[in-house]
Amino acid sequence: MKREMKWSGLVLTTTLFAGLLAACGNNNDNAGNASPGASANPSATSSASEENLAPLTMTFYSEDPNPNWTNMQDEVGKVLTSKTGISLDAEFAVGDPVQKSSLIAASGEYPDLISAKQSISKFVDAGAVLDLTDLIDQYAPNIKKVFEGQMGRLKYSEEDPAIYVIPSYSTVGQQYFNAGGGFELQHRVVKELGYPQIKTVKDFEKAIKDYLTLHPKDENGNPNIGLSLNADDWHMYISVTNPAFLATGGADDGEFHIDVDTTEVTYHFRRPEEKEYFRWLNHMNAEGLLDKESFVQKYDQYKAKIATGRVLGLIDQDWDYGDGEKALKAEGKFEYGYGHYPVTLTEDYKEASFWPTGFMAGNGVSISKDNPDPVRAIKFLDYLASDEGQVLMNWGIEGKHYNVVDGKRVIPEEVNNRKVNDATNFQKESGIGNYNLLSAHYGDGVKDPTGNYYTTSFPEQIVAGFNDVEKEVLAAYQATTWRDLFPKEEEFKVRPWGASWNIPVPTESESVVLEKKLQDITWKRIPQAILAKPEEFDKIWDDYQKELLAADVEKAEDLREELVKARVRMWSE
Amino acid sequence: MSTKKTLMGTPMSDRIFNIVVYAFVIGVMIVTLYPFLNVLALSFNDSIDSVRGGITIFPRDFTLKNYELIFSFSSLLTGFKISVLRTVAGTIVGLISASMLAYTLSRPDFQGRRFVSVYLALTMYVSGGLIPFYFLIKDLHMMNTFAVYIIPGLVSAFNVFIIRSFMDTIPYALQESAKLDGANDFTIYWRIILPMSKPALATIALFLAVGQWNSWFDTYLYNGSSESLTTLQFELMKVLQSTTSGNNADIHNPNLTQVMSTVSPESVKMAITIVVTLPILLVYPFLQRYFVKGMTLGAVKG
Repeated sequence: MKREMKWSGLVLTTTLFAGLLAACGNNNDNAGNASPGASANPSATSSASEENLAPLTMTFYSEDPNPNWTNMQDEVGKVLTSKTGISLDAEFAVGDPVQKSSLIAASGEYPDLISAKQSISKFVDAGAVLDLTDLIDQYAPNIKKVFEGQMGRLKYSEEDPAIYVIPSYSTVGQQYFNAGGGFELQHRVVKELGYPQIKTVKDFEKAIKDYLTLHPKDENGNPNIGLSLNADDWHMYISVTNPAFLATGGADDGEFHIDVDTTEVTYHFRRPEEKEYFRWLNHMNAEGLLDKESFVQKYDQYKAKIATGRVLGLIDQDWDYGDGEKALKAEGKFEYGYGHYPVTLTEDYKEASFWPTGFMAGNGVSISKDNPDPVRAIKFLDYLASDEGQVLMNWGIEGKHYNVVDGKRVIPEEVNNRKVNDATNFQKESGIGNYNLLSAHYGDGVKDPTGNYYTTSFPEQIVAGFNDVEKEVLAAYQATTWRDLFPKEEEFKVRPWGASWNIPVPTESESVVLEKKLQDITWKRIPQAILAKPEEFDKIWDDYQKELLAADVEKAEDLREELVKARVRMWSE
Repeated sequence: MSTKKTLMGTPMSDRIFNIVVYAFVIGVMIVTLYPFLNVLALSFNDSIDSVRGGITIFPRDFTLKNYELIFSFSSLLTGFKISVLRTVAGTIVGLISASMLAYTLSRPDFQGRRFVSVYLALTMYVSGGLIPFYFLIKDLHMMNTFAVYIIPGLVSAFNVFIIRSFMDTIPYALQESAKLDGANDFTIYWRIILPMSKPALATIALFLAVGQWNSWFDTYLYNGSSESLTTLQFELMKVLQSTTSGNNADIHNPNLTQVMSTVSPESVKMAITIVVTLPILLVYPFLQRYFVKGMTLGAVKG
């Protein structure tokens, strides 16, 4: 009898315990959630002059991952909360964000603030987000100032001119002070060859060939590699396919080339210039200058290869191969680092990495209809967009993350060191970089009323970051940063549609499916074309083009053209 | 007919067979153990050096920095607590509910036996899909609660059937004699059937425990914004998947330079993997003896 009671007692206890935890879980969150009772009365009765700083927590969902989010407990976050009273309970997408966004949009219960990027159409269709036009007009003077003259670009579409999104990804007045793309060559290569002109693919090829003849192996007896490409999954875009249009005078409009005068849209692989670009890559392969493993290696194998210092040339972005270069720099091998060169197919083309877009609007933050206090929400976002807020988000706290010396903001060296070498921890502690995507902000190169830059990316800072070898190479090419080697923005016509990859695609559109099909074909055929024997290149290319036509590429082009033209019309009002 | 006896007394064919089996098993062991040792080695290796590749089962540049970094994440502590809690609670409650149902289904005098079995079996093949399930959880007000880890997955048809098959091997005579002694159904279940089903229960306990320990998707869907209900696996997922997903629009993210510079280095990812896997790894050997017992127990029955 006693034993039985003990057993059933255990069962009951466990079930009760589980139930207790269930209740506990619920309570914890109820306490943390927005309690409308505590905050002031909603918009109807709040007077503009009264600053309501009562603590209010809002939920925030973002499609971008951010593993360094600290619940606003970092230094900048605490200041933000003290100035506005708002703290954010944030949730970031893990893995495929579109799935999570679809679930949230379908569920009928929305977080207070949403950063839905390209999934915004789902939320608009569900009626989940508010039209911010009046809110911005009445309560957001700073946002209005940042977007002065560009407010028309915030409209959602021609049929629906409401403002659903405050763009936070695109910056206003952005100037690029450094170049991280183009083609890369190791410093030791250009040094030994006497700093030759690196303007065309032929120059690039010659430099690699000449250097390989002089140094076919490294000091350990391992062969040096001329050019290695990064083709692991989406890295294919960065290293293999995008350079095809950048090197032939085509701006980055995603998978399409759009003529700036006629707005005619072509799937960029159909351009004859790009056929010649891929023919050159095929030639590089035939000459033995291209890494045989380019299309089979994984991303970390690619980086490891770079870290051995044996790869002479790359076609990539600095953030993509950065880990490998960092390993080389850690060993003090600064001559094995890479410089950036504006290589094009022939001298007739201009390298198009910096083709100006004007303010691109696009992805940003929306306020959902479930938000308990949209006025305070917009005021919070407005504070982030204010001069004070932007400096706080970018520079940090005065005295801690930067000092003001003779009216100029200066970052102490230890702080800068930590920013570069201990980036993750630094972001978690200080909060710098955690809030940039929440509201409108200026880009690099824009100065605030004190004459200092809003961001920490400006010429003097960048130059200070170069090591001696980099400075030597730059000086030999009469440049201060790599940007100087590339064509200036003034040499191009501003694209009236901004950038095509930024345009929200309506949910019912066939574009998504069509473009995926085209991508599958391209990712199969391009490596095949590059690795084939030179005699077979034309045949493979023709087959590829036929396959594209069979997959309805012209329909995809037409659909995309409609979107682009609609945006041009909307933005030119 | 090659029963050529060697000096040892074992026929040659047997010895060859043994060698082949041993070789095969050793091969499988290496194949499964090597990746894990590799992860372990990388976790103890300096992050910049890890990029150079070439690390196999020993760290090249030994450091404890990765672990130091991880243990400073407060979210991991919460995650650990919640993971342990849900594993223990989920396993116990799941075991009891599955075995109770299994007992009911194993009794030949249960009228609705066939109907319930078929109904249960159906759930193994058909399910409502993700979105309806999400709505269900929402409507039941189980979002952002601890209960969502335990209650929806409480009864798994698969587990019930395994336990039931085992219970079917227990002679019905035992139950009849217990009834004669005046025991009611619950007493029979609790004092006779359950203790005799220990091997099956241990197996299911392990399935449940590992399942509870490893699940992160439910945390992601239902408790994504609750800091206090995060699990260890979800934290791991967040760190592992911190790179952009490869959407064509993502690569144009103007923040990309900054995003990529704060991605956790390989060795930190490896260190978190070890921290998250270790607890369940340590528990497993203790449950293993029940399997061995279970193998032999069922064979000898009076």
